[in-house]
Amino acid sequence: MTYIQRRVRVWGLVAEQASARGGRVSAADVCAAVVPGVQVTGAWLSAARDAQAGHLMQATDEVGRQLADVQLTLGEGPLFDVSAFSGPVLASDLADGESGARWPVFASAASAAGAAAVFAFPLVVGAIRAGVLGLYRDRPGPLSDFQLGDALVFADTATMLLLDAQDRPAGPAAYRAEIDQATGMLTEQLGVSIVDAFVRLRAYAYANDIQLADVARDIVARRLRLFPDPDLPLGDKT
Amino acid sequence: MDGQLLSNTFIELTDTMVADFDIIDFLHVLTSRSVELLNVSAAGLLLADPRGELRVVAASSEAVRLLELFQLQSDEGPCLDCFRSGQPVSAADLSADRRWPQFAAAAGQAGFSAVQALPMRLRDQVIGALNLFRGAAGDFDADSVRVGQALADVATISLLHERSMRRSDTLNEQLQAALNSRVVIEQAKGKLAERLGIDVNQAFTLLRDQARNRNQRLSDLARAFVDGTQAITDPASASPRARRPVSRRPRSGQT
Repeated sequence: MTYIQRRVRVWGLVAEQASARGGRVSAADVCAAVVPGVQVTGAWLSAARDAQAGHLMQATDEVGRQLADVQLTLGEGPLFDVSAFSGPVLASDLADGESGARWPVFASAASAAGAAAVFAFPLVVGAIRAGVLGLYRDRPGPLSDFQLGDALVFADTATMLLLDAQDRPAGPAAYRAEIDQATGMLTEQLGVSIVDAFVRLRAYAYANDIQLADVARDIVARRLRLFPDPDLPLGDKT
Repeated sequence: MDGQLLSNTFIELTDTMVADFDIIDFLHVLTSRSVELLNVSAAGLLLADPRGELRVVAASSEAVRLLELFQLQSDEGPCLDCFRSGQPVSAADLSADRRWPQFAAAAGQAGFSAVQALPMRLRDQVIGALNLFRGAAGDFDADSVRVGQALADVATISLLHERSMRRSDTLNEQLQAALNSRVVIEQAKGKLAERLGIDVNQAFTLLRDQARNRNQRLSDLARAFVDGTQAITDPASASPRARRPVSRRPRSGQT
């Protein structure tokens, strides 16, 4: 399955969840949709706009809530590992020696709560950290390659929604380095944080109905400059 | 092939892997050495993202156009074919090749006539490919292909090196972390380019040099620079002639 097909499918599942709930699509819908989507028992979502592991936003069940809680209490677990490492943490069997060595307290606490496998995905775009999407299973076993691909796209979708960025399944297609470079350039042009630059870049493309990749290319080529919007708060400028 | 250069390269690469190394920086060195050793014009490494596309992680030059040419192969091209088949794929003369019309046209525009893709294999899995471009048409000789494949194998090993390989999930964890590091570096390149009025290619070189001088991992410095917790000084301020003048709006006008 190609990246585009995957994005369209995942977005469809998330949108379905939102309409069943009767609200606008939000990161909480990702949390609910990912559970049947990649066949896990439950999920939780922690939000963090800074480098700190953040507070619990959503959990699909009591076990998910406990998993998030116990990590914050212990200061140990995949939630912290993904924040430090910026890659996912895939622990397909909490009872194996490796997980026990990695998290001496969390591994047994999670088992006691009813989880046998935990998969945590950092919600990141480079240096931008939006939170963590956690999944658990009540039986041990790895995510298949197919499920892993889907889980990553669910995580991407949650990231976009948490950052409140304009995102459509037909939007940014394949990876383009220029989009990230343009985001970095905008931090300087607008005097804002990387998160705000990220949001402004997407908002500009959306408002002007131009492909994100084309806007990014023009910014990198210095054919286009963006200016601080007087109507918008200027992020974390000090 | 220069035997001395060959052994020096492999010593350099394995030496790097012993210390606490940065995967993106390492792969960048590997692609640069590929160009020197294999007598090619450009080299790039693409990794398979489980999301369903090939992603560029390192290239011998950071020129935007070149990165794009590598990335184009997420849709069609020798890298994609190599990744799917697990076998080396080559085209000695792209102008006469019908397999990848879009890719061949873009490669031609960038000044490349011949291409070779070598698989990065781990057991029965193909995790990416090393892509070599040459300006002049003609076959890649057997010696170069053999050494090129060895370099692709070193790239594979480096991805597994940082953490234990007992768990089958480790590769995917590493891969995603590497892809995100690449994004951090792109963001830092953009920020630095804009701040100093240089192009993104120069920004990468400066970023990498500063990381080496500070004995810091490239992706750590890039992240700290984007977060605003570490500054990067302009070496051109010591020699102003090296700096391209770019008019900048005063920061005070932005509030």
